[in-house]
Amino acid sequence: MSGSMNSEASAEPNLTPMLDLVFQLITFFMLVTNFKAASLDLNLKLPVVGSARPLETEGEDLLILNIDSVGKLNVYGVTQNVERYIKAEAKVSRASAKRLNPSFKADDDLPTTIVVRADKQTPFNLLNVVIKTCQDNGFRKFALKAMNKEDG
Amino acid sequence: MSHRKKKKKGSENVELNLAAMLDMAFQLLAFFILTFKPSPIEGQINLKLPPPLPVAGAPGGQKAGDNDNNKNAVQSFESLVISVFSTPGGKISTMAIGEANVAGVSALEGRLKAVLSDANSPFKQVIIQVASRLKYAELMRVVDVCTRQTLPTGEKLTKLSFVELPTE
Repeated sequence: MSGSMNSEASAEPNLTPMLDLVFQLITFFMLVTNFKAASLDLNLKLPVVGSARPLETEGEDLLILNIDSVGKLNVYGVTQNVERYIKAEAKVSRASAKRLNPSFKADDDLPTTIVVRADKQTPFNLLNVVIKTCQDNGFRKFALKAMNKEDG
Repeated sequence: MSHRKKKKKGSENVELNLAAMLDMAFQLLAFFILTFKPSPIEGQINLKLPPPLPVAGAPGGQKAGDNDNNKNAVQSFESLVISVFSTPGGKISTMAIGEANVAGVSALEGRLKAVLSDANSPFKQVIIQVASRLKYAELMRVVDVCTRQTLPTGEKLTKLSFVELPTE
């Protein structure tokens, strides 16, 4: 009995190379994953404008507004009331501007850039509601998002 | 020496169980693969959008008709007005710079270039009057033309205002 047990070969694969490979893959995905993309509504079809260029916005205070073709404002996948949401964001932006610059006055232009990601089918009257609400709350800097070439 | 020999004999071959670590690494890999969504490379047009102001700059806050003897007429028009009308489907139907009609987006570009390249041009911003039904993609064609223009001062034109025209 004991003799037959001893003759059994124990097959232990060397897992080290596989572990190495998996760690390589994890490193790759960690580096290319961009969690900022969660704030973008990728269902929107942006207009195509030849002169639109990707710009460096590192360090800038941005407020991304996704507006679908029926004028609904989507933030992180949740539909928001335009007026209430922008008012709250303006309050936050004003508070942070005041913290950074004590001489900032209540009616000064807000430093936050509004990033408008609107569907190309959105009628102007619906888009204008959002832009006007932003202007009424003190936002002046806008960035209109567009693709510079048609999607494949 | 004998002490050394003893130590060598007593050392054991330590083998880590890598299976547990591999399991965890696979979990992480699965997470990153599932959440991986390459975001498209988007461009943007940066604008300064002040709220629409009166087209004419009246000096000293004067109002129309408040003083018949006033010879100090309105001094400058600083805003260039572009009107964009739409078809019922939301496409551009006609456009005008001030009162003058322009045939299309390329004609608009030519006219704008001519107006803004004049060294005496008083315009510093553009007001775009937009039909309420006009689709965003069509509006962006007009915005694109405007933002490609340079003011006589050498600055890029980024100061735009939008005004909604009532539905025709």
